[in-house]
Amino acid sequence: MKRILLWWAERALLVLVSVIVLFPIAWMFLTAFKSPRDAYSLSLNFTPTFNNFVTVFSHPWNLGDMVLNSVVVASVTVLIAVPCASLAAYSFSRFRVRGRKFLFFLVLSTQFIPAVVIVLPFFLMFRQLGLLDTRIALIIVNLAIVTPFVIWMIKGYIDAIPTDSEEAAMIDGASRLRVIWDIVLPVAAPGILTSAIFCFILTWNEFLFSLILTRRDAVTLPVGLVNFRTERGDLWELMSAAGVMITVPIFIMALLIQKHFTRGMTAGAVK
Amino acid sequence: MAEVRLVDVEKRYGGFLALPKQSLTIEEGEFLVLLGPSGCGKTTTMRMIAGLEEITSGDILIGGERVNDKPPKDRDIAMVFQNYGLYPHMTVQQNIAYPLKLRGVDRKAREARVRETAEKVELGALLHRRPSELSGGQRQRVALARAIVRTPKIFLMDEPLSNLDAKLRVSMRAELKHLHHELGVTTVYVTHDQMEAMTLASRVAVMREGRIVQLDTPKKIYSEPADLFVAGFIGSPSMNLVEGHITGGRFEAPGVSIPVAAAERGDVVLGIRPEDLELTTAEAPPIRGKLYALELTGEATLVTLREGATSICARGPAEFEAEIDAACALAPRPGARIHLFDKTTGQRIAA
Repeated sequence: MKRILLWWAERALLVLVSVIVLFPIAWMFLTAFKSPRDAYSLSLNFTPTFNNFVTVFSHPWNLGDMVLNSVVVASVTVLIAVPCASLAAYSFSRFRVRGRKFLFFLVLSTQFIPAVVIVLPFFLMFRQLGLLDTRIALIIVNLAIVTPFVIWMIKGYIDAIPTDSEEAAMIDGASRLRVIWDIVLPVAAPGILTSAIFCFILTWNEFLFSLILTRRDAVTLPVGLVNFRTERGDLWELMSAAGVMITVPIFIMALLIQKHFTRGMTAGAVK
Repeated sequence: MAEVRLVDVEKRYGGFLALPKQSLTIEEGEFLVLLGPSGCGKTTTMRMIAGLEEITSGDILIGGERVNDKPPKDRDIAMVFQNYGLYPHMTVQQNIAYPLKLRGVDRKAREARVRETAEKVELGALLHRRPSELSGGQRQRVALARAIVRTPKIFLMDEPLSNLDAKLRVSMRAELKHLHHELGVTTVYVTHDQMEAMTLASRVAVMREGRIVQLDTPKKIYSEPADLFVAGFIGSPSMNLVEGHITGGRFEAPGVSIPVAAAERGDVVLGIRPEDLELTTAEAPPIRGKLYALELTGEATLVTLREGATSICARGPAEFEAEIDAACALAPRPGARIHLFDKTTGQRIAA
């Protein structure tokens, strides 16, 4: 009896939490398909329209440019961060170097610094270099934020791989780099992929640095959302449409992660 | 095929001395077993030969060539790991072919060689499986096949059978022995199982706390253990070791009085194997005591006597029966080996 009650309590709590978390997202999706007339109405009885999406991609909003900026910045960041972090993670995991622990702590400690503290130095630096409002600046900043985190994540996956296979490969005639390429990377692939997607999401959602370091040319999607607060008031239906554009890729990636996450846990399990 | 020499090799981890300075020569074509309890340095010794572990000082020579600074891949060796060390993302075929692939053997030759090797270890039907789809014994075979797919200068085997069940271990042991006979490659084999050591080795190196305490043929190790450690480690059930003293040409201890050919002295340990003792009904038996336990092993009964601090086990006939606590007597069989050791140093006393 008590167990059944507990079971129901658990379900009820889960439903409650889901509703609280999902309701705003659901509402955003609904609003994205409403005409401006319906945007403020609470009624679910409205005629859905795609006009908002057409509007946000046309002048003066030009959401397409921001999508491109976000895609370029996030992809390039991932493409640089993940290979570098994989090698660094392997080194941290396998080589017994003096001061290794301290070095690793140092890498992680960069994550303790609040972004607002370093955003101004970054601004000044990039102004000096003439890189303000460029994608390059955003990529550099995102690399600085994301790489230590990805190193830490991938190191966890590599730590879980038994060294036996690597030693076997070295004896079979492989050099260290060959071992990494032939043995470690394929076995750690699910973990590395998970980290890559995580890295992409972090960069995709990054707001503060984009806000400060870009003005017109390199604006990314999250910052672009602010444009919909105009003198004419907040254009909720357009903001929602843009919000959907930001969210959907992340949803898809989260689903991918979920599938690979469980695989990543069991991949190295061969004795 | 090659001779392996360790010259004055020493291994330290920081300030900790893992292996004191010592030398060891493994003859060409020999099957040398490093035997000892866990933590005695046998695996470290093997890993130093493989190049997976650096040596602190000394030289390692393979086939007369100094390999101290050579990475494992250039030492021309093959190794079988305790946990197999297979490549989980590759098929059996790819696992076995990997050493050949790294050495630039072309695809056709590779496939032929893999098939031939797989047949030899009875893996022919499993070539397209992944390691995760194999049983422990099959994985062990893959590891073995990967080692023998090319002909290296030496084979290194690190407790290759310890993850298998008892029955499989015995049959794989015979296969290993046959394989060594067939290939004739110098082999170094690490184990803590004295049965494996006795059955496989052409010579056994018994190790303790980083030191090789005896290096000899299995026969010699069994019949003439160099010290108390080796005497107690080799043989199952292990050798009876009784503390006592020698007076008037007899070894004396509570319940024990055996004639020995040694000078008068105290603090002696007498060793005699259970199979060298038999039950007796003689008037003045050399060993007397109360029956402590009877264990039927099938082909024999292990009879354990106690008298004071002395406990002695003998291998008696399977049909022997008696009440616990009954008085019992034992005598060395004709031609039995009686070993004497110095109690303080543990060393064997020459008879």
